Amino acid sequence: MSDLEVHVELADADATRDYGRALAGLLRAGDLVLLSGALGAGKTTLTQGIGAGLDVRGQVASPTFIIARVHPSLGAGPALVHVDAYRLGSLDEVEALDLDTSLDESVTVVEWGEGLLEGLAPDRLEIDIQRPHGGLDLGVDDLDPADLDPADLDPAGGVRTVRVRARGPRWSGVRLPVVG
Amino acid sequence: MSAPLVLGIETSCDETGVALVRGKDLLFDAVASSMDEHARFGGIIPEIASRAHLEAMVPTIRRALEGADVDLGQVDAIAVTAGPGLVGPLTIGAAAAKALSIGLGVPLYGVNHVIGHAAVDELVHGSFPDQVMALVVSGGHSSLLLVDDIVTGVTELGSTLDDAAGEAFDKVGRLLGLPYPGGPHIDRLAREGDPTAIRFPRGLTAAKDQAEHAYDFSFSGLKTAVARWVETRTDAGQEIPVADVAASFAAAVADVLTAKTIAACRRHGVSTLVIGGGFSANSQLRDLAAVRCAEAGIELRIPPIRFCTDNGAMIAALGSAALSRGVAPSRLDLPVDSSMPLIRVTV
Repeated sequence: MSDLEVHVELADADATRDYGRALAGLLRAGDLVLLSGALGAGKTTLTQGIGAGLDVRGQVASPTFIIARVHPSLGAGPALVHVDAYRLGSLDEVEALDLDTSLDESVTVVEWGEGLLEGLAPDRLEIDIQRPHGGLDLGVDDLDPADLDPADLDPAGGVRTVRVRARGPRWSGVRLPVVG
Repeated sequence: MSAPLVLGIETSCDETGVALVRGKDLLFDAVASSMDEHARFGGIIPEIASRAHLEAMVPTIRRALEGADVDLGQVDAIAVTAGPGLVGPLTIGAAAAKALSIGLGVPLYGVNHVIGHAAVDELVHGSFPDQVMALVVSGGHSSLLLVDDIVTGVTELGSTLDDAAGEAFDKVGRLLGLPYPGGPHIDRLAREGDPTAIRFPRGLTAAKDQAEHAYDFSFSGLKTAVARWVETRTDAGQEIPVADVAASFAAAVADVLTAKTIAACRRHGVSTLVIGGGFSANSQLRDLAAVRCAEAGIELRIPPIRFCTDNGAMIAALGSAALSRGVAPSRLDLPVDSSMPLIRVTV
């Protein structure tokens, strides 16, 4: 069995980006990465790190609206194809995304792709990101803004727990990063 | 002699838009939407969006020509969205535009969709003054542009680093259990709630962000804060005051968008602000922008809703502007670009 799995704790958004950068060091043309996790977990943040590591053009932002955004390489490396399946009804095949870019020549990162794409690609990285659930100190049950600690609402705050699973022969013997 | 007649084609997302513009006069604007077809499939499927554009293209062109009461032979130039947008739909529009350009023997201009959202205001409210600030906000974009010239002098001051404003509304709508798309529902609920009930975070407004991100936006952390706030209340067995959450969230979005935009106007000495894109329909944004622009002595220009959502007029307007400045036409093999940078007005 060639499946590998690592668990990582990331302190904040910068650590999440750093981890994405470390992952990018392993990624090559044709690779598929599936990201899962609740709204606000940090899927796009991790992809920003991957984009920085791959040295691609443009701001890596949420592709929810646009479904897929292609970031060409600024150097000689592979392009980053950043896909978001959040609004997709179904996805029978990657070709239905109608991308103008050969996935064989790109690194493809798919947000919200769990349950849609696993059957299509035996080789893939599955990354699940968990953010803290609830847990804000809201004080008593009124809505007094004074009861909210701004630090609790710091978007960069909150430890993320990340599980990376490598599936398929492509990842056989590859050492996954355990820190950013 | 009258100004050249430009036919504009927009296909970056769900709407097939075709319009005819002469100079800065809109003759007719025709739009077909594939939203109904996506609803049938329970979500967007890019291939279906492309097919819908393909099916709508010729009828929509015909409708625009009839509405404008002109013949195809009178068209002097073709403008088309080159990006940013969905690759498949963009490709359909570009193919149609190239075919018309070759068939009619007229120049082709591939133009930037986001800048088109600003350019369309010239059709509505007349020529821009020497400098305008443009805030383009939609489901897919949140960008602040300093416009010295809509074709040759557009500077991107900032954009969203993560979620677009409209996207954050749709996602918070889902968190609150509202139907998709959530934007209009939050807008409506927010009018009934207390915008000061919860002090949600204002992304990238801290002192430490001012050096690098003074005019950039971030709505992802706000979305996460709303999610965690709702989770905390739910876990504690308390009810969610949906109207107050919606109002406080909408207030945070409108506050950041307007505060940064007005600050940019002051910094650059600009006294005219154009707000475009589908999210400019948001009433909290409109209200706060009106108040803050009045305080700052800035003239606020927001086109009517039908020119804020995707349409062909915005593309024809930008193509017409490019033509009038003698910009070189695009090559017939112009590529579409899903992530077209805002430094490129034409390709």
